[in-house]
Amino acid sequence: MTARIIQIALASLFLLASLVNAAEPVMPPPATGPATGLADTAALRATVFGTPPKDMAPLPETVPLAEINIALPWARPVPQVFWFDARLRVWLSAQRRAAPLAVVIAGTGGDGNTPKLAILRGALYRAGYHVLTMPSPTFPGFIVSASSTGVAGDLLQDSRDLYAAMQAIITKLPRRVQITDIDIVGYSLGGANAAVVKSIDATEGKLHIHRAVMINPPVSLFTSLTRLDNLFASSIGAGDAGVESLYRQLYAQLANLYRSSDRVEVDEDFILAAAAVELTTDAELSAAIALSFRIDLVNVFFAGDLYAGTGVVVDPQHPPRVGDSLEETARILRGKPFSEYFSRVFAPYYLKHRPNSTGKSLIADSRLEIIGDALRGDADYYAQTNSDDLILDARELAWLKDTLGSRIAVYDHGGHLGNLGDRAQIADMLDMLAGRWNVTAR
Amino acid sequence: MRAGRIVGLVAATLCGCASQQMSIRSLPPETPAADNAAAAENVAELAAASVAEIAGEHSQTAPNAAPLVTPADAPSMYTYDPWERVNRFTYRFNARFDEAIFFPVANGYRRLPAAVRARVHNFFGNLTEVDSVINYLLQWRLGHSVRSLGRFVINSSLGIGGLFDVAKDLKLASEPTGLSTTLAKWGMHPGPYLVIPFLGPSTLRDGVGLVADYGAAHVVNVADLYRGNEAWALGTTDVIDQRANISFRYYATGSPFEYETIRFLYVRKRLIEDGGLHWKGARNKADVAAPAGK
Repeated sequence: MTARIIQIALASLFLLASLVNAAEPVMPPPATGPATGLADTAALRATVFGTPPKDMAPLPETVPLAEINIALPWARPVPQVFWFDARLRVWLSAQRRAAPLAVVIAGTGGDGNTPKLAILRGALYRAGYHVLTMPSPTFPGFIVSASSTGVAGDLLQDSRDLYAAMQAIITKLPRRVQITDIDIVGYSLGGANAAVVKSIDATEGKLHIHRAVMINPPVSLFTSLTRLDNLFASSIGAGDAGVESLYRQLYAQLANLYRSSDRVEVDEDFILAAAAVELTTDAELSAAIALSFRIDLVNVFFAGDLYAGTGVVVDPQHPPRVGDSLEETARILRGKPFSEYFSRVFAPYYLKHRPNSTGKSLIADSRLEIIGDALRGDADYYAQTNSDDLILDARELAWLKDTLGSRIAVYDHGGHLGNLGDRAQIADMLDMLAGRWNVTAR
Repeated sequence: MRAGRIVGLVAATLCGCASQQMSIRSLPPETPAADNAAAAENVAELAAASVAEIAGEHSQTAPNAAPLVTPADAPSMYTYDPWERVNRFTYRFNARFDEAIFFPVANGYRRLPAAVRARVHNFFGNLTEVDSVINYLLQWRLGHSVRSLGRFVINSSLGIGGLFDVAKDLKLASEPTGLSTTLAKWGMHPGPYLVIPFLGPSTLRDGVGLVADYGAAHVVNVADLYRGNEAWALGTTDVIDQRANISFRYYATGSPFEYETIRFLYVRKRLIEDGGLHWKGARNKADVAAPAGK
């Protein structure tokens, strides 16, 4: 009986998770069209449903796993409503012998144990790495426990916080975890974070990070997220009214599907089956991607507004307390696009704290170009992406290719992260990390 | 004496864990190869099931089928939660309890061999057939009631006291039901949202159903399991087995809106299970549409 109650909660989460996990919610199809004209239904489908199990790279039988919770001294005071996020939580899979450490960073909004991280963890552990998986700096748990600003989205600042957190964790690992070398991997926004962390380390030299692999990284955070606003507006509609009508539609579809099935419970299997049946058109797939990103943005927006004291939804004088209802706040926030987060929270905060910055300079700072020289000149940066990745337009893909030269693998299909874990992606990633990747051999 | 020790343990763990600067907690190992193989198998089954469900959807257009749920029938996005203050407090308590005790104990249990855990799970699953038999009768679904009784008899005998789910192999898969579903079938409104201490999200109706189901099992008292000397240990094992089979983790979302999210999803999930709003009359009533906490 207890099980029923908790299982109900679990299955409920899956209603959400089917949207959140299905699409790694980073970025939208570009307004200017995809890189190669291939961002068709196949790319959207791959983005939403991920790598089919039969195409998955070989995975190990068992992977040991430990959870690490750490309090970081520079963290800002924990607001009451975030009481559960006081400590940063990361996951470690340690080899029994001396081995290189691979640090893996999640994409937008992801915690340190997303399904995609679990795939990478398995593959890396099998290849002989200790694996440390970390949340994205846009994950609320990171914003509260590890961010020095509380305002997420600045590529350099977020990566600095990430770098500091990595140092704190790695220096405190038990002695039995013997580390011979450190490499860093990230997918989506986490890919950009990984590369920037390596470039910071190149200057500071605290960890001596050896190689970095970016998997489906964005080139410009700001433009990609702005495109996502457009995608949301076109596939769901502006504001809360769009969300409500999408909800009503989904509810009716699920209710009818459930009634016509002979199932006894709305569980994980039902949701997966429903997603396969209901998410078919480009509009539906796009809506899933846009909505899952918006759900993450709600958290980032709320935390940023609370920490920066910008007063968009949180009264700086009377912040919500632990028992207060946040329903109304959530309702307002889910209607708000990224552009509003940028103009009303992010920009005001950074313009105040970063002398000589302008709105334009903040946008420029969100580009991977801030480490362009390192990407061009240092042979230890690698990238993997797809020619139909929805988050890149032709110009951005060309920039990546031009900047990384022979150190980028571009696959024909997969959309955004839709081939993460497949045989080619994993084999190439492992070759890159081992320094034996050779584009001409492909 | 025992109760005192438990209270002490609870208090110590609730207060103590947060003070350390860095803590490492070992978790049961992951099994990616087996998980992926299972997922591959599921894909095939899902594909077949999806085809069947699409076909089922079309049969809805038959003349005597219930009218389709339309987007206008969907309940408001607000959830009726007049006890929100208390519910939020209970949710926080549950989260802390789970983090300090329930989750770690279940993790320890998950280190037992899978075969052992499957036997335990089947054993307790078999006992729930008692409630299913009663409730299918109350729902006037006699075929299902007989089916549950059949499962119970087969698994208790051939399945050695329920350790093996033999009936499943005989194409009699488990379809548990309980009083909360019965009450829904009788047309009872779910009532206010309710977070039950230790157990989690529910509604008033589902909570009543839960207690009554336990009471019924206690009254039937199969093999004196519920009132015998070992009842306490058995009950504990049951609860741990159930927790170990659930991957939910409180505040894994890291989100301050988790309470709202779970409440929203739980209530919609139950509404869909109750037949997607067959109490059409209720949907425009103030108690369904009223903003939560207002």
